[in-house]
Parts: sequence; C-alpha cells; structure tokens
Amino acid sequence: MQEFIYQSGWGAFTVLLLMQIPFILFFLFVVFRQGSKKPSPSPTIDTSITRLKNIWMVAVVTIFVVINVVSIKYFPSVVEAQAEASGLEIHPVNVTAESWSYDISQTEFKVGQTVRFTAKSTDTVHGFGLYHPTGKILFTMMLIPGIGDASLVHTFKDSGTYKIRCLEYCGASHHEMSDELVVTASSN
Amino acid sequence: MTIAISMVRRTPFFGKMFNVDTSTGLEEINAWPALMIMASFIWLAVSLLLGIALPATQILELDSSLFYTAMTAHGAAMAFPFIFQLMVGVGLHRIGGCVGKPVTGILVPGFFWFMNIGGILFTIAILMGLKISYAVMYPLPVVGIQTGQWSMTSLIIGFSGIALILVSVIVLYPVQIIKMLFFDKQREELLLSPRSLKDPGMLGMAMAAFVLLIMGAPLLTVASAVLLYLYNILPFAWIAWAADPTVFQFVFYIFAHNLMEAMAIMIISAVYATLPLYLADGTRKLYSDRIASLALWILLVTSVTSFFHHFFTMYPALPSALAYHGNIMSYGTAIGAALTIFTISATIWKHGIRAEPGLMAVLMGFVLYILDGASAIITSNISWSFQLHGTMWQAGHTMAVLVAVSMMWIGVLIHHYPVITGRVIDKASGNWFVTLYTIGAIGAGTAFLAAGAAGMPRRFASWNQEGWMVYGYLILIFGIILTLSFVVLFINLNKSKEVASAVPSGPSSMPAE
Ligand SMILES: [Cu+2]
Repeated sequence: MQEFIYQSGWGAFTVLLLMQIPFILFFLFVVFRQGSKKPSPSPTIDTSITRLKNIWMVAVVTIFVVINVVSIKYFPSVVEAQAEASGLEIHPVNVTAESWSYDISQTEFKVGQTVRFTAKSTDTVHGFGLYHPTGKILFTMMLIPGIGDASLVHTFKDSGTYKIRCLEYCGASHHEMSDELVVTASSN
Repeated sequence: MTIAISMVRRTPFFGKMFNVDTSTGLEEINAWPALMIMASFIWLAVSLLLGIALPATQILELDSSLFYTAMTAHGAAMAFPFIFQLMVGVGLHRIGGCVGKPVTGILVPGFFWFMNIGGILFTIAILMGLKISYAVMYPLPVVGIQTGQWSMTSLIIGFSGIALILVSVIVLYPVQIIKMLFFDKQREELLLSPRSLKDPGMLGMAMAAFVLLIMGAPLLTVASAVLLYLYNILPFAWIAWAADPTVFQFVFYIFAHNLMEAMAIMIISAVYATLPLYLADGTRKLYSDRIASLALWILLVTSVTSFFHHFFTMYPALPSALAYHGNIMSYGTAIGAALTIFTISATIWKHGIRAEPGLMAVLMGFVLYILDGASAIITSNISWSFQLHGTMWQAGHTMAVLVAVSMMWIGVLIHHYPVITGRVIDKASGNWFVTLYTIGAIGAGTAFLAAGAAGMPRRFASWNQEGWMVYGYLILIFGIILTLSFVVLFINLNKSKEVASAVPSGPSSMPAE
C-alpha cells in the first residue's frame, strides 16, 4: 500500500483525488446553498465557526505532517543509505547524456541486482527517466550540465526490458532520446 | 491616454468589447487598463488556437517541429502577454480606484509597449525556428545553434523579446504599483472605493510588487549580461559567470516560481476584496480580515524559498538540506491556502452571496486554484517528485494554475467592467461562460494529471505510445470546451448593454467598486 502510494504516479493520483474530491464537494455545497437562498444571513454563530476553523487547521497540518514523514522512507538519499548499510554490493553504472542519446556503461542486469546510476549531461539539460516494463516510471533524474553528477540507487525487482526516456525538453529530437536496459532472471 | 482610447476604438472586434466610457471623467484609471485588457484577449485568442493545435498535431501525426513550435508559442503567449497583461490591466484599474490615483505616466504605457513588442519579437523568433519552450531550458538556446536547430539571429530576436517582457514584469509593473500605493498624490475625483494597506484586498498587491522586484532582479541581471554579449557589447569573459547553466537555471526558477506565487498572492488579495461586495445581507466585510491577512503573510514567507522543489531530481547535486527545505516550505504555502479556504467559506456561510457571473467566476476560479494546489504539493514532496517530475503532471499543474488565476481575474474584470466601459454583460450568458470554463478546466487539468500518473512525458512530441493517446483525446475535448467558454465570453462582451438601458442587477451595475 505505502509502496503503491509513494512509488507510483497512480499512488500520487489517488492521494490527489482524496484531497480534491472532499474539497470540491464541500465548497460547492457552501457556494450553491448560500447562493441559491434568499439573500439573508445564516444564523450560524461565530463560536461554532471558530471551532470548525480549529478542527480544520489541525486536520490539515496533521495530514501534511503524516504524508511527509512517511515519505522520508522513499527519499533517494534514504534508499541509498539503506543499501549501503545492508552491505549489498552496489554495482556502479555510468550514464552520459548528449543530444539525443545516452552512453550507458552497462545495459544488462540480473533481477535482484542493486545498481547506482551516476549520470551527467555534456551539452544541455536532459533527463534520465527509467520506466518499468509495465510502463510505470521508477524514477527520473534531471541532468543539468556543469552542476555535478546526479546519482540514484535502484534494485531491479522484475525481469524484462526497461525503457529509458529523456524527460527534460532538449530540442528537435527530444522525443526520440531513449534507450533500453534488459533485466534477466538471476541464475541462482 | 487618448492614444490608448483611440487604439481600443480602432481595433476590430476586440475593441468593441473594451470601448472606454468617456462620460464619467475616469479615463485616467480606465484608458490604459482597457487597452491592456484588450491586448491580453487578442493574445489569448491566438494562444487558445495554439493550445488546441498541440493535441491535434499528435492525433493527426503531423511533423514534430510543429508541435514544438506551437508548444513554445502557446506557453509564452499564455503566461505573459495574456495572463500577466490581463492581471496588470485589471489590477491597475482596481488600485487606481481604491487609492484615487491615475494610471498614467511613463511606466504604464512603457509596460504596455514592452510587454507587447516583447511578445511579438519572441513570436517572430519562434516562427524563425527558435523552439525553447517558455521555460527557456538554458543552455538549450545556445546548444540549438551549435547543433543547427535554429539561427543566431532568431536567438538574438527571441532573447530581445524576452528581455523586454522581463523588464515590464520585474521592473515597470512593480515600480508603478509601489509608486501608486506609496507616493503619488491622491485625487478625490478618482477615488471610487477607498482602501488602505491594512485591507487584505490591497495588502497582497503591495506584497506581490515587492516579490516580483526582488525575486526577479537576479534573473534580469543574468539575462541582461547574456544579451549584452549577444549584442557584441561585452566580451564573453565578462559574462561567462552568467552563461553557466547552473546560474541560469537557479535564477530562472527563483523568478519563475515566485512569479506564479506573486500572481497567486495578487489574485487571492483581489478575491478578498471582491467577495464582500456580493454578500447577500449587505455586509461588506470578510469573516475575518486578520485571518485573511495572515494567509497572505504565510503565502508570502513560505513561497519565497519553496522553489527548490523544481530541483529535487538533480540529487545529490541539490544538497538534501535544501531539498527538505523546499519540500517543507511548499506544504507551508498550502497552510496559507487552507486558511484562505476557511475565510472564504466562512464568509459565504455567514452572510450568503448574490451569485452574479463576476463573483461566480471568481469563486469557480478559486476552486480551480485549490484543486491545482493539491497537485502542486504532491509533486513538491521529494519522493513523489522522482515519479512525476518532467511528466504531464507538471505541465498540468502549470496550465491549471494559470487557468485558475485567469478565471479569477476575468471574474474581477466582469465586476469592474461597468466602470471601465459604462456597459454590463448579459447574466445568463455570463453563467454559461463560468460553467463551460469550469468543466473545461477541471477536465483538462485532470486529464493532464492522469497522463502524468501514467508516465507520459511533458513537452514531448510522441504521444502515440504506451496508450497515452487517450489522454491526448481528453485534453483535446476539454481544451475545446475551454475555448468555447471564451467564445461565449467574447460574444457576451461584444453585445454588452449600456448601464442606463440595462436592468439594474446588483453590484455588477454599480459604478464604484
Ligand atoms: Cu534530452
């Protein structure tokens, strides 16, 4: 569940709808109820509105804190630190992006292999977006030339062909800037 | 001033919508704003067609260069010559009437000419082949020349246009606001609806002016340095620091992010000012001015440094501490928004509203703004950003915030329309505009976000893969509904009736704010 929420676009979309739908229902109710009535003030007294304000603000702050605290687990820096602490071998892979292709030091991997992608661009801003064989984005990196390498640790969980796409607009053939990684089932 | 009035009168179709009422003696607060608003609507019409062209080129499988041309022109025209100019036109008129000071002088026409000539120059450069998206993507403009994608001439023309627009947004408009709020002499006959800076409806206008001036200054410096090199005035060694992609990217987002926040502060301020005028029980006060002002202060303080959320995915080049900071500050802006939701809901609940089209446009624009805010804070979380950055989610957020802000400004415009033109719009048709616009905006916005969730990249001329085209069709359909809403509005404004001959219908026919 947590994995779905924080590690996929549709998880983010679900959280989005959970915020949007209650708001839109509530606000439209307030607007249309108070806009369609005869012009007269509602008898509501201020103390009950003040209490609602306090409940509302406490709820908002709580939701924000929970969302952000739980998300820390999925920060790339945390994932990297965990991989290092577990003593796993982290396989280094170097990526150089240039309009409109990638130079990748290794493109074939085994399931279960943990890899550190270290990427840079030599000309303009490019992206390195890694797509799972199902079409889901696993992560994207923004490569600004001259700022230093971007780097991310990832463990391949499934076999198949992973697509790489540039997700930062980089000119006429931006949409053709892509590559592939092949992950096969581990032999043991 | 007379130039502005005659330019409006001589413009076919659009001129008729904003023909200034010269019988009231208020030309000093009406003339230039009317011209700016009219010009913004012309840019809007062009960029709506370009927006429709984006999914259309993909569905019809046309050449990718058409997509990137339309993309660059659409984004640039919408953000600056349309929305920013509309906001300045309506905003200056509003402030003029609230503080009793004329909207004339050098800065006002200066803004108009810089913005529109800048927009035209940038458009010419795009037609010459410069396709850099409205985010410039520096150093792409330079790399594009090296790789033969466009010419040096197109770059010089394009950057000259951008520079004129930046000067108008970062210098001319904020200085004019500061001049009117703090310096110019008040004139009794121009004072329609007095407001002081203690009023949240005026406070936000001042805050936004300072934000634009201060947060824009670094970008203006860097852009000027690059431009002076392109003009062969400075040698490269002198501007090499400015040509560093890292420097440019940071100053760009410090500005671009705060530009959006400044626009949000201004429009929320205008909403706080407009809502009380439509309260059903005749009270002309918000539920609480103090909570309203607090929301603006929170928005101001937290938004300034939340721009780091644009850079999460360059990890570890962006230090983690700055990433956390950007993450937390972004959610801080949402605390401000939560207080605004409270103030507006409580005000409506307590006093009831008269549901005129102007107010309904403001309120539905506010709905769009909050819906978009939810998408914004989600991608401003570090973990989610790695799945969503660079996808259609981001494009949808940018589009939705601009669509929301422009609807609120159009609502404020409808409110002030009788003072500017001496005419009122048709109520039923006004409601049709609000309805179509809301449906189109929510539909298109949601389609973009779903596309992003599905992994569809933004600014990407190859939609026909991975089942993404379904989002392309949805964007086209809702884009057409959005466009239709403007057709309804344009017809309504063209057929508006004189205040005297129209049936009085509450605040929209009242001369003062
Ligand atoms: Cu690229």
